[in-house]
Amino acid sequence: MSLPRTNPLLNDRDVDFQLYEVRDATWLCTLPTFAEHSRETFSLLLDSTRRLAREVFYPTYRPMDSEPPVLREGRVHVHPLMRKLYPQMVELGLAAATRPVEVGGQQLPLTVHSVASAYLMAANLSAYAYLGLSLGAAHLLEAFGSPWLRDTFMSRLYSGEWTGTMALTEPQAGSSLADVRTRASPAPDGSWRISGSKIFISGGDQDFTENVVHLTLARPEGAPPGTRGLSLFAVPARRPEGERWVDNDVRVAGLIHKIGWKGIPSLALNYGERGDCHGWLVGEPGRGLTQMFQMMNEARIMVGLNAVATASAAYHEALLYAQERPQGRPASVRDAAQPQCFIIEHPDVRRMLLRQKAIVEGGLGLLVEASWQADVAEHGHSEEQRARARWVLDLLTPVAKTFPAEKGFEANALAVQIHGGYGYSSEYLPEAWLRDQKLNTIHEGTSGIQGLDLLGRKVMAGGGEALKAFAQEVGSTVERARRAGVDPKWCEELGRALGEVVALTGELGAAGATGQVERMLMHSADYLELFSVLAVAWQWLAQAAAASEGLARGGEGRDFYDGKLLAAQYWFHTELPRVGPLVALCRSGEDSYVRMRPEFF
Amino acid sequence: MVDVPVSCRSREYPLFKEKDVKILVTAKRVEDPESKIKVKPDGSDIVREGLKYKINPFDEIGVEEGLRLVAKHGGEVVVVSIGGKEVQEQLRHALAMGAQRAVWVNHTGALDQMGVAGLLQKVVEKEKPDLVVLGKQSIDDDQNQVGQYLAEYLGWGQATFASKVESLESEQEKSKTPALQVGADGKTVQVVREVDNGLATLECQLPAVVTTDLRLNLPRYASLPGIMKAKSKPIEELTPEKLGVDVTPKVQVVKLASPPERKAGIKVPDVATLVDKLRNEAKVV
Ligand SMILES: Cc1cc2nc3c(=O)[nH]c(=O)nc-3n(C[C@H](O)[C@H](O)[C@H](O)COP(=O)(O)OP(=O)(O)OC[C@H]3O[C@@H](n4cnc5c(N)ncnc54)[C@H](O)[C@@H]3O)c2cc1C
Ligand SMILES: Cc1cc2nc3c(=O)[nH]c(=O)nc-3n(C[C@H](O)[C@H](O)[C@H](O)COP(=O)(O)OP(=O)(O)OC[C@H]3O[C@@H](n4cnc5c(N)ncnc54)[C@H](O)[C@@H]3O)c2cc1C
Repeated sequence: MSLPRTNPLLNDRDVDFQLYEVRDATWLCTLPTFAEHSRETFSLLLDSTRRLAREVFYPTYRPMDSEPPVLREGRVHVHPLMRKLYPQMVELGLAAATRPVEVGGQQLPLTVHSVASAYLMAANLSAYAYLGLSLGAAHLLEAFGSPWLRDTFMSRLYSGEWTGTMALTEPQAGSSLADVRTRASPAPDGSWRISGSKIFISGGDQDFTENVVHLTLARPEGAPPGTRGLSLFAVPARRPEGERWVDNDVRVAGLIHKIGWKGIPSLALNYGERGDCHGWLVGEPGRGLTQMFQMMNEARIMVGLNAVATASAAYHEALLYAQERPQGRPASVRDAAQPQCFIIEHPDVRRMLLRQKAIVEGGLGLLVEASWQADVAEHGHSEEQRARARWVLDLLTPVAKTFPAEKGFEANALAVQIHGGYGYSSEYLPEAWLRDQKLNTIHEGTSGIQGLDLLGRKVMAGGGEALKAFAQEVGSTVERARRAGVDPKWCEELGRALGEVVALTGELGAAGATGQVERMLMHSADYLELFSVLAVAWQWLAQAAAASEGLARGGEGRDFYDGKLLAAQYWFHTELPRVGPLVALCRSGEDSYVRMRPEFF
Repeated sequence: MVDVPVSCRSREYPLFKEKDVKILVTAKRVEDPESKIKVKPDGSDIVREGLKYKINPFDEIGVEEGLRLVAKHGGEVVVVSIGGKEVQEQLRHALAMGAQRAVWVNHTGALDQMGVAGLLQKVVEKEKPDLVVLGKQSIDDDQNQVGQYLAEYLGWGQATFASKVESLESEQEKSKTPALQVGADGKTVQVVREVDNGLATLECQLPAVVTTDLRLNLPRYASLPGIMKAKSKPIEELTPEKLGVDVTPKVQVVKLASPPERKAGIKVPDVATLVDKLRNEAKVV
């Protein structure tokens, strides 16, 4: 039977491979929290989610990209399709899926939730973003909110009745949240009056639910400057007053015209222009940012996933196109009377496709790994197991956020390239995904900030504990690969690369410890790149091991495993060799841009 | 649209405590059409390794319609599947969609449409549903026979190819109203069916057999809460022996073969050539 070929968004076979061959997701069900789950529940959910993504969400992507939200008389009107899409995600149970039964959740491992969500992100990232933001907000309320806040706001976010936002950024406080100026003053009724301006607040208003709750960072009167003076407040667009819901004085001051993510508005919001904006303190005063940071790993994993999903959709589109576009002839054929071949027959096109595959599937591996570590960090059998997972997770997070965003952009550009001139036109989808992808290197901490976080904090954490835990993970993958009969050279090279990175990190750490902080961080961007190459090589070695085991079992399905081994080879032969030069660069103290002064440009 | 009320044969079972309806729906396990299906070189079977399976889409539509009827009238949806233990996956899927119980007829050998209908007949006699809903055909063998056989074996009325009056984009569909209408007295069912020149409306006395067409409804996706609830829903195991049905096939599959590859088309320079080719080569005009 031959069906019209449509973009699968993600490769189901690869998702199963990640969950059940590279690692064994059923092991998670041995953790008491996940005991009610099994491969069967995972499969049924994945099946529903991928169908919703392909049949319902994907067809809405283009219309929502072409008709962005509009601001009319102070209210934002989003694409009417959202009225249909939002309830469907909620009905599927995705809002509270990973949360405890007590708050209406189903205690699903994040690992499974991540791959399931990736389908929806690949299908229509903006539509998913409303949900992602709402569950981030609800999770904060669940973790830190009073019973009243949980009843009033959290439960309505999990049930899909309202949506939520994360309102951190201000015009003068983007990367540097220490400079947040929005103010909060205590009111006699125990709530607070909020005033100030936020910018870029995604989902800050919409017209498909009755209310929006902004989880807002603000500085209480008299609180110290810097991050320690920040508290977290729940600020609804409409607040309860007796039996009624009244306007809460949060005004949409402007709508940002964006190049991507056009299905969800990003807004400038003014709080308390009339002095009547009520907020409720979430958690402890002065711990606003700390509390937000406790959710940071999850939020950054979501961004990384989004980047993988956006690159994946484009990769599959390019793969379909390359098999259907006749152009030119193989290099060995000179005769123009011969029919044209499909461009996938040109080795250079396969180079581009393989690079996309290596980035997308290596990136997915990284995100599944990070989600797995998050599950174990929270629910592991023993404190020792949980602590180790926390180290690995903290270390991996900036990498899992940034690698797919930066390299995903490159993969998205390759999808445009494979489409030739058509890729440059808006009749085809790859240009849209390229626009979308760019955001992922900017929000939730720019790549620059992630590099500083990785080198300045994460690899140094616990006096080397984090790096040690990571090295042990890599070590056990190398062992498995050896046993599976993976090319021993790859195992050696990965071991050597790890050793070099560990040594370099020690040197840079020593520089930092002796007060040469600028020297230490001079090449933080290169260090992040270096660490990404290493971490993705680790993931590719794990996939090569699982593929070799699959081949050894024999039977059908060899093509899939052969493809995995070639993608792994690609990474080991073209990317891993960059470790040496990158290590040298980070060590060299090469200081051209440090010494550049503004007037030299 | 033609409107042909037809009265079907009378029912055997005393029905309807209040307005509850009991609906038996089939959930056959079939290859996912998105898998690459290849015939084995010796033509004995298809290559099964690496294939994905799902509920026959027509049956899934049946489950959905059953759930909607039960939501409206009360009652229960019981799903039934025949096959090895792997068909429990499809039963579990139907339970996750919302069906209340499942019956699994454990049988791994060959089976023809009479065998299937024979087994279903016994399950029906045991379960005594008001309505049996089956897909009009299954997408693996495309037989379109089991519903008709079953109605005959039971001596019940049948309404095949149930469809919707309105389109699948209609308000009706959005509000998930059932297309099958059970009469106010609970004694009949009205079924809109697709016929060559439009739609025909049948009225059948209950109990009856209905088979579903593709344009009956858009089945729901199994939700995570539904999936978790389904874990504790019962699946009753039966066998052809227990049901007392001899399932020795009367139909044998001799050989499977892939359809011949379609040759690439050609471009003709002008309309005259096209007409000439249609007339003289294809001989269709
Ligand atoms: C579409 C969109 C949606 C968004 N959604 C939300 C949202 O829902 N909620 C929310 O609160 N925010 C949101 N944001 C804001 C986003 O998080 C910020 O844009 C981001 O944190 C960067 O801040 P900025 O734009 O002020 O850039 P800046 O902080 O001004 O950064 C500009 C450049 O300077 C670099 N830089 C800044 N500081 C440093 C430093 N200390 N060291 C080295 N380099 C530095 C950065 O890396 C960057 O390259 C969104 C942004 C966009 C574009
Ligand atoms: C904005 C714009 C302006 C343009 N302006 C003009 C203009 O003014 N005049 C004009 O004549 N044209 C113009 N073009 C057309 C442009 O030159 C073509 O798009 C370009 O040559 C690529 O051809 P294509 O789009 O058919 O892609 P294809 O040739 O189909 O290429 C698709 C992909 O296959 C690869 N590929 C194709 N053949 C081979 C091969 N033999 N070996 C290896 N890889 C191969 C390509 O590298 C590419 O990645 C314009 C295009 C755009 C987008």
